[in-house]
Amino acid sequence: MRVLAGNQILREALAQEMERDQRVWLLGEDIGVLGGIYKVTEGLLQRFGRDRVTDMPISESGFVGMAAGAAMLGLRPVVELMFADLFPVCMDQIVNTAAKTRFVTNGLLHVPMVIRTPTISNVTAYQSQTFEAWLAHVPGLKVVMPSKPQDLGGLLLASIRDPDPVIFLENRFVYDMMGEVPDVIEPIPLGQARICREGTDVTLVAWGANMVQMAEQVADQAAEDGVSVEVIDPRTLVPFDLRAIVQSVCKTGRLVVLHEAVRRCGFGAEIVASIADSEAFSKLRAPMIRVANPGVPVPFSRALHKYALPAAEDLMAAIYRVMKRVMPKAMPKTTVKQQVELVASRPSGYLRR
Amino acid sequence: MAKFPYGLTADDLLKMYRLILFGRRYGESVDRWYKAGRLPQLPYISMGQEAVGVGACYGLRADDWVLPSLRTNEAYWTRGVTVLEQFHGMMGNAHSITGGRETSNHAAYPDRGILVGTGLIASQIPVAVGAAIALKRKGKGDVIVCFFGDGGSNRGDFHEALNLASMLKAPVVFVCENNGYGFTAPASEVVTAKDVADRAMSYAMPGKTVDGQDVLAVYGAAQEAVKRARQGEGPTLLECKTHRYLPHCPSVEEERPPEVLHKMRQRDPLVILGDRLQREGLLSQATIQSMEQEIRQELEDSLEQAEHGPIPEPAEVFHNLYCEPTTAMGL
Ligand SMILES: Cc1ncc(C[n+]2csc(CCOP(=O)(O)OP(=O)(O)O)c2C)c(N)n1
Ligand SMILES: [Mg+2]
Repeated sequence: MRVLAGNQILREALAQEMERDQRVWLLGEDIGVLGGIYKVTEGLLQRFGRDRVTDMPISESGFVGMAAGAAMLGLRPVVELMFADLFPVCMDQIVNTAAKTRFVTNGLLHVPMVIRTPTISNVTAYQSQTFEAWLAHVPGLKVVMPSKPQDLGGLLLASIRDPDPVIFLENRFVYDMMGEVPDVIEPIPLGQARICREGTDVTLVAWGANMVQMAEQVADQAAEDGVSVEVIDPRTLVPFDLRAIVQSVCKTGRLVVLHEAVRRCGFGAEIVASIADSEAFSKLRAPMIRVANPGVPVPFSRALHKYALPAAEDLMAAIYRVMKRVMPKAMPKTTVKQQVELVASRPSGYLRR
Repeated sequence: MAKFPYGLTADDLLKMYRLILFGRRYGESVDRWYKAGRLPQLPYISMGQEAVGVGACYGLRADDWVLPSLRTNEAYWTRGVTVLEQFHGMMGNAHSITGGRETSNHAAYPDRGILVGTGLIASQIPVAVGAAIALKRKGKGDVIVCFFGDGGSNRGDFHEALNLASMLKAPVVFVCENNGYGFTAPASEVVTAKDVADRAMSYAMPGKTVDGQDVLAVYGAAQEAVKRARQGEGPTLLECKTHRYLPHCPSVEEERPPEVLHKMRQRDPLVILGDRLQREGLLSQATIQSMEQEIRQELEDSLEQAEHGPIPEPAEVFHNLYCEPTTAMGL
């Protein structure tokens, strides 16, 4: 066991898989010489050479389509998109080429590729978007969103080995979080949720490193007031471990979903609808609540952030609401907010806001 | 015995002639059968431009690949796909290579080196570059030929793909089927380069314009580009000037004036090669008659067989989207 930062864990997993499988090909903007804007691929160019770690021009649609073609004929491309806001630029190749090839060829061809990308989260309108719902909406894609550093390596290995196109979303706060990694990383099967905190009163589903961390901190605060919150990180959205959520809601009778993406048509809506459609519905003791971006682009000014990004006090309020309890005035606001800001102040790499 | 260019034999020329003739009769037939309601799939007919697909695919090796545009019907015939297979595709039958999932003009036949495009014009061009990189890694000198229209050469993906291919020295031949129109948009207005081949200059690769109505000219230029790609010297952009005799597709009305349509037919690929073969004494009326007869028979028999082909099982739709059944995705 070693304790490494998130970006080092991803690098270890990539290097391990590149040693094992000659077909793995890393491509993306500034991943070679620079090692990527969050240093995930640092040193890999020197170690594996230009044919396997290839710097790309600013041509996201071109090189995503190219990766899909290479995957069809036997390579295992792992694309780094510089940040998640670039998805719209290459969405045609993702939606129409990568996602549909197995289907339209009736399985004669398939596209074993990974697109990994940082979701930068809280900087500006063009560098903060989380598009997981948009991607999960597309038949043919798998969507992985690891939140715990110790899950990064195993989920990345499983994604590279998966025969289908996988979108691998790395909330940038995870790059600085420390986690334990075994000497040889083993794949973690896609479609298995992680129970981060066990609890009996409220099921709280969250994804994205910053959101899961906030969920855990709020759960700890709530515990001090006698509210037992079960925190579940689904880890992958497609495939989705619905059973884990259903089981938990059957136990607690209450569901809160937390995500950073826009609430309208967000993935939280899908979860809430699926619970309404399951045996957990009759066990519900309160309305299901989503805590998410209210539907605005992330503004630049920090003063405006609290209206755009879900905050700890919003989450706490949601928990008290489903508990039908009055939130103690003195309690969480300051403590939780301070803790969350601590996380937000630490990111390293290219954007240090 | 007459000598033919590029080391081609009389037999090769006759085969090319038959492929072009086949393409022509296929085009006429599907136009008629679609309009008569016998074929449910809207066809994109390549009448007038048959020599491009035939000439560019003819000399390829079994391990090479092609990526057709929506209109490169001849790529299928030249790579050995039968019209029965394509008619099963046009009917959406279970016997279709796609199992009824996709139309015949976006059908992949990997066993014959035909890669899939999407329904999006020019999106296939980067895909071909990626395939070329995979072929290059195999190190056997295999290449891919990628087709697209004049309209496609206006898309960003065309330009990005050419830049990437040049940068990575990908063994790919880009073949532009310049039929002068994208849907109803005249290339003379919307393609600002004088020739599409001029666009190669920006990407430091050879760009060549050839007479797409002369199958031997297409063949010669394509083979030169293929050779370059095999030797690791990188991509070529080959523009074949050709004509689309029919409207964009049968559901669209012809918008071009009759004199334009008439003029196009003065340089017909079937006539150009046929005249040459007849001058050389290689193609008698009797040979043509028997080819025509065989082709008509094959087209009619295949249509009839496809009309009675089995339809897919509805539950099939839940397979081959992911490696697991679609129902395993949890939501
Ligand atoms: C990206 C995209 N835009 C529009 C269409 C609709 N469309 C289908 S074919 C076509 C014209 C294509 O022209 P060209 O590339 O010259 O090929 P041609 O039809 O002449 O063979 C258009 C606009 C499409 N399929 N994809
Ligand atoms: Mg055209």
